[in-house]
Amino acid sequence: MRRDFPRNLDSLSPLYEFAEKLFETNDISPGVRFPVHLAMEELFVNMVKYNPNVTTDITVEVTVTFLGEATNDATSSKEVTVTLVDDGGVEFDVTAKRQVNIDAPLEERTPGGLGIHLIQNLADRLEYTYKDGRGEVIFTKGSGNEDV
Amino acid sequence: MKMFEIEYGDDGEVLCRGRLDAAQCEKAQGFMDGLEGANTLDFADLEYISSAGLGILLKTQKRLVGSSSGLKIINVNNHIRDVFRYSGFHTIFDIEAKE
Repeated sequence: MRRDFPRNLDSLSPLYEFAEKLFETNDISPGVRFPVHLAMEELFVNMVKYNPNVTTDITVEVTVTFLGEATNDATSSKEVTVTLVDDGGVEFDVTAKRQVNIDAPLEERTPGGLGIHLIQNLADRLEYTYKDGRGEVIFTKGSGNEDV
Repeated sequence: MKMFEIEYGDDGEVLCRGRLDAAQCEKAQGFMDGLEGANTLDFADLEYISSAGLGILLKTQKRLVGSSSGLKIINVNNHIRDVFRYSGFHTIFDIEAKE
């Protein structure tokens, strides 16, 4: 399932509904839905935030892959893959390791920087490519690896 | 989808409901900016939070701890609890999981 979303925060609600419809149809567990929704939001918001002068839509594709027998119920093993394509945005490698000290005391904490850290920890696989002004991020999460 | 709502409960706790995503931050921050002293946030009906929401909690906690009080967060579901754990928030907030 693929759709283009306008590059602004008003797209977050339609983006959620878009993916949720597919998750309902395929009986995706809450332990997979939550991190996938989180990754979609964090990646989408990054593309919006770091490209304030870009007006092109952001393309989002969500697919469900059956890893075993396709019984289409809660017991079958499934993998959700989300692909976001940012045409015209700056290069932003979401797979690059960042300095986030989650053990820092409160007085040393500053808001920001946690989104990519969370995605990197929640993903089964996270891929990024950038060529000719076109960035593509692929986030994959499968059942059996639910940690939230 | 449940829209994000934030309001005072009958016992003075702050009830958070729905999904706290980046689009709801202005609403959440506006309410949090009005908090003074020690406060309890009840997350029993909060389904989702992203890093934008974590930023609001952090900013509010820093302000309140600066005046010798702070936030306690109760009834946290297991998804949000793990987001807190990955963020190290369990060390800077008083957090109680949902029973």
